[in-house]
Amino acid sequence: MEFFDQIISLFSDFTNPKKRVFAGYLGISVLIALAWLIFVHKTTLRDGFRRIFDPRVWFSRSAWADYKIFVINRIFTGFISPLLLTQVIIATAVYTALISSDLEFWGVWEDASKPLVIGLFSLAMFVVDDFTKYLMHRWMHKWPILWPIHKVHHAAETMTPMTVYRVHPLEGVLYASRSAVAQGSVISLFYYLFGNTVDLYTILGVNVLVFVFHVTGSNLRHSHIDIRYPKWLEHVLISPAQHQLHHSVAEEHFDKNFGAALAVWDWLFGSLHVSEHEKELTFGLDASEKHSPTELTKIYFGPLREMGNVCVSGFTRFRRSASRIMEIPKGARERRRG
Amino acid sequence: MKRSLKLGTSLLALAFVASTAHAEAYGPYPITEKSYSGDKTNSVSYSGQVARSLLVDALKKLASKGDGGGNAAELEAQMMAYFNGSDADLPILSHKDKNDFVIKQTTLNEVSKGKNVSGKSYKGLMPAWPGNMTGAEVLEDMIKRAAKSNGGFDAETGMDWPQLIQKFALGAMAYNQAVDNYLDEKLTAEEKPNNKPYKDGAHYTGKEHSWDEGFGYFGAAAHSANLSGEQNYNITKFKDAGAADANGDGVIDLKTEMVYGNAYYAASYDKGGKTDYMATIMKAYIDGRKLITDADGAALTDEQRAQLVAYADVIGTEWEKVLAESVFKYAGSVYKDIAALRAAEGDDATAEAYRKYGKHWGELKGFSMALQSGKNNLGGTAVRLNRLIGFGPVTMDETVVTGIDGDGNFVKDAKMSWNAYQLNMLKVQDLMVKKFGVEARVNDGTADLSDLVKQLDSDSGGAETD
Repeated sequence: MEFFDQIISLFSDFTNPKKRVFAGYLGISVLIALAWLIFVHKTTLRDGFRRIFDPRVWFSRSAWADYKIFVINRIFTGFISPLLLTQVIIATAVYTALISSDLEFWGVWEDASKPLVIGLFSLAMFVVDDFTKYLMHRWMHKWPILWPIHKVHHAAETMTPMTVYRVHPLEGVLYASRSAVAQGSVISLFYYLFGNTVDLYTILGVNVLVFVFHVTGSNLRHSHIDIRYPKWLEHVLISPAQHQLHHSVAEEHFDKNFGAALAVWDWLFGSLHVSEHEKELTFGLDASEKHSPTELTKIYFGPLREMGNVCVSGFTRFRRSASRIMEIPKGARERRRG
Repeated sequence: MKRSLKLGTSLLALAFVASTAHAEAYGPYPITEKSYSGDKTNSVSYSGQVARSLLVDALKKLASKGDGGGNAAELEAQMMAYFNGSDADLPILSHKDKNDFVIKQTTLNEVSKGKNVSGKSYKGLMPAWPGNMTGAEVLEDMIKRAAKSNGGFDAETGMDWPQLIQKFALGAMAYNQAVDNYLDEKLTAEEKPNNKPYKDGAHYTGKEHSWDEGFGYFGAAAHSANLSGEQNYNITKFKDAGAADANGDGVIDLKTEMVYGNAYYAASYDKGGKTDYMATIMKAYIDGRKLITDADGAALTDEQRAQLVAYADVIGTEWEKVLAESVFKYAGSVYKDIAALRAAEGDDATAEAYRKYGKHWGELKGFSMALQSGKNNLGGTAVRLNRLIGFGPVTMDETVVTGIDGDGNFVKDAKMSWNAYQLNMLKVQDLMVKKFGVEARVNDGTADLSDLVKQLDSDSGGAETD
């Protein structure tokens, strides 16, 4: 019985409205995709369904690897999550640092209007979370030590909503820690300033803004349905097509569109790329990356070896430049001998 | 194979029995004093310290008997008798038959004759209290003010005298005498050597009795090490006579079967399951006493004394932490009380909330002063603590006590907002965590934040990668 419960718990994300793959969000995503295909691409309902549930996508070797990684990571998470930094730890530490400082803002706005505080807090949680996601995602691409683990995600050659789980466990740990730090800090800062008034506007227990992100098709980011937004809107919100472009193997698409929900970060820091009309994208990695999209041992252990190599070559470079600095110029050596 | 299995099982069983066997009680221990020729068989003696605990508890009882000035002189005299000691045999006021507790002694002389509080109270300066007084003088000052008060509470200053007197005395008398005298100076080779009686004709050696007195001030029952935190706690609360009555004679002997002050607070924190103060302190006391007993009346070697000092260090450190836990706990109470006070509607509710706040503030202040009565100079920590708590609590008109004038009256010429004072309480808690590493952390002011984080449960897809 317990074994059965554990199996069921592996799939609990599908019934949890806090998760992107919640069945309700998936259902809405199908409807959005259908509407897009029928009204924009002028397909029939039947062809629309065929396109959405294309077995070449859903049962590709890449997709099968996604499913396996999903299960393996869920088991891994069960072991590792008790060891991770929690929001409570971060929030308490930040709050304690604030109260023991000489700042004099504790509870200064505790009498502020409740709806205003809740609105501000809901917005701050969403924006800070989104910005730190952008930052971390950018680092994942730009820092040589992190790219090997993020490559796992980019190796997907077909994308389904389950591709969100195609992540190396180390990346999962980094993202979860980021979330704890970002949200824990926002909560403690708001609690420090506004006291007990702090609360979230929620729908189904989820921050209303996160909810909106999900019911407007967050799952279609990892799909082959190229929903685009008007150009101006793609400077504010990342459309599914923009994220698909982020997964493209074309060189001109490299290191573009790191954003999760908001495009403003990409716009601000010069990594924005609006979607392109009628351009068939190929997902995956450049051949030079030498990364398997399907072999599990390579997916899990390859990045560790590569990170090791990055460290070794970094150390070698450091040693060389250090010895260059320490090296006595030839002339000086001769002078000393003389 | 079979035999080794049996052997293994028996060893395992033995180990189990050993691990569940009761810890020892503090005493009885044999007579080792060679000059003694009487018929006593137990060298343990700390009834004087028990009597002093009872004197303090009596002061707490009396401190709430004031009628606003009418009985001030009479009450002051009565309290002074308990504070300075009396030729008369004073009745025990705090420990009387209650529930199924039948108390063996009814007067102080039945416990120990000729004891007082004043002679054994901290003689150093107590900067946490206005007026440039020693610890002993502060206690006397508090007693005099209590005698003039109405029911022990002074609404104008927010002072709760029973709490202030009792909690401060836990440090100014008990903690100070134990860690700064009996477990400190009296452990040197010159003072109270083990090869001489404590005093002429005594049936215990100098070191035996010094150690016993150090134990007596802690306030544990002799068998406290065999009891859980809950049981020790309940004994003080008169709720578990079965646990108290170690010898099963149907009466509770205040000398050995009662849990007082400091030990009670240690147990109260252990009850929460995060700490083990009582067991750690009791073990150090018992191990130390056994070391002395094992010396069999010979002078202790330097090595033995070094070991004894190590036990004393354990006691001192843990005891200090227990006091810091209390400061933490009551800072949390005051923090909550201020919130309740500000939310209170109507005069009655406000007065009630203010009274509760004053009580907890008295406990906070008393313990914070107790913490400063040990042998360690707390330096900057004490300064910060005293500035955060102040000489008095923020009162209803947001004024606070800032000093004492030439006539001995409190001066209240500064204001502080409720908000700022509430924040100070959080800072006090933070200070206790950082400087003393308190672990039980009862009434943690950051608990609301933790609850909020859990209630928001906002980690929606934190690990989702794009």
